[in-house]
Amino acid sequence: MDTSSPAAFVNGGLLRMHVGRKVRTVIQVTRSDAGSVMGKSTDGCQLVVRGSPPAPLTSYVEVIGVAENENSIRAELWTNFGDSFDASNYDQLCQLANGELKHLFL
Amino acid sequence: MPVNLTRNAIAMMNSGDVNSKPLVQVVDIKLIGNSQERYRFLLSDSESTQHAMLATQLNEQVRTGRVKKGSIIQLIDYICSTVQNRRIIVVLNMETIIPEYEIIGNPKLLMGSEPEANKSMPNNNLFEPSTRSTNNRYSAPAPANKAQSFQPTIQPAYQPPPNYKIQGPIMKNEAPARIIPIAALNPYQGRWAIKARVTAKGDLRRYNNARGDGKVFSFDLLDSDGGEIRVTCFNAVVDRFYNVIEVGKVYLISKGSLKPAQKNFNHLKNEWEIFLESNSTVELCPDEDGSIPRQQFSFRPITEIESAENNSILDVIGIVISVNPSVPILRKNGMETQRRILNLKDVSGKSVELTLWGDFCNKEGQKLQEMVDSGLFPVLAVKAGKVNDFNGKSIGTISSTQLFIDPDCPEAQGLRAWFESGGRNTASISISKEIMPGGSKNEIRKTLTQIKDEGLGRSDKPDWVTAKATVVFIKTDNFCYTACPLMIGDRQCNKKVTQSGNKRWLCDRCNQEFEECDYRYLLQVQIQDHTGLTWVTAFQEAGEEILGCSAKEMYLLKYELQDDTRFGEIIRSRLFHQYLFRLKIKEELYGDEQRVKITVVKVDKVNYSAESRYLLDMVTKNLRNRKQF
Repeated sequence: MDTSSPAAFVNGGLLRMHVGRKVRTVIQVTRSDAGSVMGKSTDGCQLVVRGSPPAPLTSYVEVIGVAENENSIRAELWTNFGDSFDASNYDQLCQLANGELKHLFL
Repeated sequence: MPVNLTRNAIAMMNSGDVNSKPLVQVVDIKLIGNSQERYRFLLSDSESTQHAMLATQLNEQVRTGRVKKGSIIQLIDYICSTVQNRRIIVVLNMETIIPEYEIIGNPKLLMGSEPEANKSMPNNNLFEPSTRSTNNRYSAPAPANKAQSFQPTIQPAYQPPPNYKIQGPIMKNEAPARIIPIAALNPYQGRWAIKARVTAKGDLRRYNNARGDGKVFSFDLLDSDGGEIRVTCFNAVVDRFYNVIEVGKVYLISKGSLKPAQKNFNHLKNEWEIFLESNSTVELCPDEDGSIPRQQFSFRPITEIESAENNSILDVIGIVISVNPSVPILRKNGMETQRRILNLKDVSGKSVELTLWGDFCNKEGQKLQEMVDSGLFPVLAVKAGKVNDFNGKSIGTISSTQLFIDPDCPEAQGLRAWFESGGRNTASISISKEIMPGGSKNEIRKTLTQIKDEGLGRSDKPDWVTAKATVVFIKTDNFCYTACPLMIGDRQCNKKVTQSGNKRWLCDRCNQEFEECDYRYLLQVQIQDHTGLTWVTAFQEAGEEILGCSAKEMYLLKYELQDDTRFGEIIRSRLFHQYLFRLKIKEELYGDEQRVKITVVKVDKVNYSAESRYLLDMVTKNLRNRKQF
C-alpha cells in the first residue's frame, strides 16, 4: 500500500487548509457536466470538482485530487458511494482527522 | 316391695354433699332446651323435691324409657351448684333401680315456684361433657361466657362454693375457658378457647412411616380479629372431627396443643399451629356470626409479583383474559395429573400466567373455560399461589391454594369497574415472559475480554450486554435437537423429545406422541472481536440469523440427504460475518463447578451508519476524558 502521499480528509470548510495539496472528500452531486461536477460537501458548502466523472454517477461520490482553491478540487480518482450516505458521520471524521487526531492520518 | 328412698337426700344434696349416692324417685321428667335436647327431672326423697338436669350423655336412658316418671334411681355422680339464686343439680351418672313405681310419699318442692323453662337453663354450647364418668365437676356457665370480650388477664381459677367437700384424686379446673383471639394463642397460654370460621379444609391423607400407618388432615381458621391458624388432627382424632368440620362454618375450639407451624406447608401468618387431641373440643356454633369474615386475603398487584421471590406464597386477584385447555402431564413420580394455563390481568397494567394443577383444572378451570368461551371475563382470586421464576414470573397452584371465581369482595368490585371502564382495552405486559432489560437506548456495550475481566454473570441476576464480534467457528456436531411442536397456550412447548418406537416421537411434558417433530438450533459458536474470543450458545432465532437457514433444512441436508459437501459450504459461507450480539451472561453450576454461560439472545447485522455514530461518540468521549488529566 502506497502511503507516500496521503490525502487529507476534508469537508467544505477544511479545504482552504490544504490548498495545493492532496485531499479527499465526499460530495452529494447537485449538477454534473462534462468536465466538472457541482456538489454539496458534508458541511453544506458548494464545491466544484473538475475532471471526468464516471458514468453513471451516483448521488454520493468520493473524489481524491488536489485542492485548487478553497472551493474547488481537481480530481484524479472518482468513486461512486451510492445513493445513501451518512454525511454527518463523515463530517465528524473530517473534524477529528484535522483536529486532535491529525497525527493518525497524516 | 317397699322402697326406702334415702332420707333427706334432697337436703343433703342441696347442702353440697356429692358423695352420698342417694336413692331417689323421679317424680317428673320434662324435655326442655331450645337447641339441645335436655331433660329436667324432678327428684324426690319422698318428702322434698328438687329439680335436676340430666347430663346429655344420659339422654338415651330417657328416650328408651329406661328411666321415666316414677322410676326409682340411684344417683351415682352428680354436682350441685347455684344459678341465679336457685340450686341446680346436674346428674352425671345414675342407675335405674326400679323403672316403674308409684309416687312415694307426698313430696313438696323445696324451692319456690316452678322455674320457667328458658331462664335458668344454662346455655350449653360450652357444656359438652366428656364421656368419662369421673369426678368432673361442672359449673353452670355464667352468662358472661357468651360475650366475646377478651380480657387480657390470666383466667381466674374456678372457685368451688365454700361448703363443698373436695374429694377424689385430682381436682380439675373444668370451668369453660374464655374465648381469646387467635393472635393471642401460644403454647404457654394455659386454657384457651377460640371461636373461628373454617376457611379451608385439607384432604384426608394417609401415610406410612417407621411408626406404621397413619392418617392426618388439617383445616384453617379465621377469627373476627383477622387472626388465622392451622389446625391439624392425626389418626383417631381425624375420625372424631373430619366429618364435623365444614368450610364456612364457625366453631368453638378448645384444648388443643400449640406447636411451631411447619412453614413448608403452612403459609398462614402464625408462628403456631394447633394440634387437636383426644380431649380437644370442637363445637359447631350454629348462629351466623357476622363478625367473622369468610376469607382473608392480602392481594399483591401483578406488578409486585415481578419482583417477588421464587417459591414465595402470595394472594393475587385479576381478570381472567385467557384459559387454555387441560392437558395431561406425566409427573416425575410416574403419576399423571392435569395442567391448565390461564392469564390474569389487573389494574397495574401487567398480566401474569397462572398454572392450575390437578383438580383445579377440572373444577374451577373448567368453569373458567366455559365463562371465557361465552365471552365473559370473570374475576379470579387466588389464595396461596406459589411464585415460579422459570420464565419471567408466573404463579402455580399448590395443595393449599384456593380459587374464588367472581368473589364478593371490594377488590373484585374495583377490578370489575376498572375493566368495564377501559381496563378491558388497555394492553398489558406479561411478566411471565423472559424480559430482556435495556432496549436499544440503554444497551451496554462490552468487548469480549471485558466479560471475563469484569466478572459478568456472577451475581444472582444474569447480565445483559451487547458485543460487536465476528463468527469464527460453528460447531457442526449436535447443532440442533428434536423439539416438541405442540402448543402450550401461545407458546410452542419446544422440550426435547425422545424417540418412541419407529418414526414416532414422545414429549414428556405434553405427554403426547406424534409423527413429525420440529428441529431447533442449539448452536455452539465461537465469536471474536479485537480483544479476544469466546464460546456462545445460540438457540433457534439466533441460529437462523447466523446460519441463514432453518435448523430443519440443515438437519435434512446433513442426515437425510447426507450431502456433507453442500453442508460444509453453507457453514463456511457463514463464517467471518460481523454482528451485534445481544448476550445473556450467567454463571451456572455444571456438576461441581461454576461456569459462565453466554447465550445469544439476538443477532443483528451491523448497521454501519449507527455503528459509526457509536464509534465516533466513543472517540469524542475518550478525547474529552483524556483532556481532563
